[in-house]
Amino acid sequence: MAVNGSEHDRLHESAGLYVLDALGPSERSEFERHLQTCAECTAEVRSLTGVAAALPYGVPLVDPPPGLRNRVMAVTGGASVPPSNVVALPARPPRPRSWVTIAGWLSAAALLLVSLGLGTYSMSLQREIAGLHSEISTLNARLTDSEQRVTVATRLVALADSRMAILTAPDMTQVDLQGQQPVAPRAAGRAFYSRSRGLVFTATDLPPLRAGRAYQLWVVTAQQPVSAGLLDLDTAGRVTQAFNTPPDLAAPVAIAVTEEPAGGVPAPTGDKYLVGLTH
Amino acid sequence: MWLWAALAAVSDSSVADRAAFDRMARGDHDALGEIYDRHGRLVYSMAFRILRDQSDAEDVVQEVFSQAWRQASRYDASRGSVLAWLLTLTRSRSIDRLRGRRARPEPTADEGMLNAIPDRGAPADVLVVSAGQASQVREAVEGLSVLQRVAIELAFYEGLTHAEIAERLELPLGTVKTRIRQGLLKLRDRLAGSV
Repeated sequence: MAVNGSEHDRLHESAGLYVLDALGPSERSEFERHLQTCAECTAEVRSLTGVAAALPYGVPLVDPPPGLRNRVMAVTGGASVPPSNVVALPARPPRPRSWVTIAGWLSAAALLLVSLGLGTYSMSLQREIAGLHSEISTLNARLTDSEQRVTVATRLVALADSRMAILTAPDMTQVDLQGQQPVAPRAAGRAFYSRSRGLVFTATDLPPLRAGRAYQLWVVTAQQPVSAGLLDLDTAGRVTQAFNTPPDLAAPVAIAVTEEPAGGVPAPTGDKYLVGLTH
Repeated sequence: MWLWAALAAVSDSSVADRAAFDRMARGDHDALGEIYDRHGRLVYSMAFRILRDQSDAEDVVQEVFSQAWRQASRYDASRGSVLAWLLTLTRSRSIDRLRGRRARPEPTADEGMLNAIPDRGAPADVLVVSAGQASQVREAVEGLSVLQRVAIELAFYEGLTHAEIAERLELPLGTVKTRIRQGLLKLRDRLAGSV
């Protein structure tokens, strides 16, 4: 597992597509090669194949047209009668035809024609409904996705707004932060602080932390360091983030970033990674 | 209690299916009728779900049972139930026809190819054993998010590939891949919980 760990990370998500037979040819053979060495994916494929095999049991049941059985039986080259549907009709003595019976037959035939017509019509309606249903599902899926994107976009705009408000605040001060030896010699940061509007913080080259640890940002006043919040780094160790700070905060003397337990602490306890003085 | 009854009924019918296939292999026409009477409705419904056309669905059902008649002697019970075999064949025949309808006319799959379908990959864990559990499957599918369900359905009932699904839903490839896997895992958990 250690040997093909990164291959596993890259491929294990394909198990679903594989069991539904939806991988392209080259992806598929790559995944099959991976299966030969990966017990975890093999087990997942096994169980998901069972899930895929269960799907047909959920299809909406439709009655096959009555003539289909005979068509199926014709493939054997011989006919077979359905077990129960055939009932011998009692022989009826022939009766002289009258106009009344003929009229009766005619109206029965008319009814039959009408009902045959309705049957065909209902089949075509059924087909149309099924088609519309699938179209609606697809549109629904797209709509849900669009709504999610709009939510994200709105959040980004709000975020950008609040950043912009801070950056253009009349009382804005800029603080440059330096990476500290020996933990983060290459890191650098910059804070834009407005007492009335909050703080925008940006940094680069922060080293990755081990699990269960997080970077916490502090606004250091003459009295005490006040937590601004936790940094949300991207995988390259970069961050640009806006924080709300209490409006009654005393004038800061410094901005700092420390390493703390995930979730943060009320007062700094860990190593300082970035420090910047406000002159 | 109902579960035991359902399981007993199912294993009875799969034993009976196997016996009917043995009889078909010996040329017994009535055995084919028996299989059709037991499973024709589900097989037809599956073909109709995929093709959404009565006459195409009928053609597929006829092809499936015709192949069952010709290949009954080669049926290997260790590969899975008769019904699973019929449904796999129905899906693949229907999707071939659907693809053919979608424009590019391609040669119909030969029997050797189709014969190879059921034993691809590892054997499946059997989750759902009975058509009587249809409502559980339906509920589980309805419990998925819309995107999970639609992505799975596009792959399963329309035979679309990963890239085609992404294009149809206007989503990135990675999102489709993740949604499909998560959806199937969720179905597995729900179905395992209900069996």
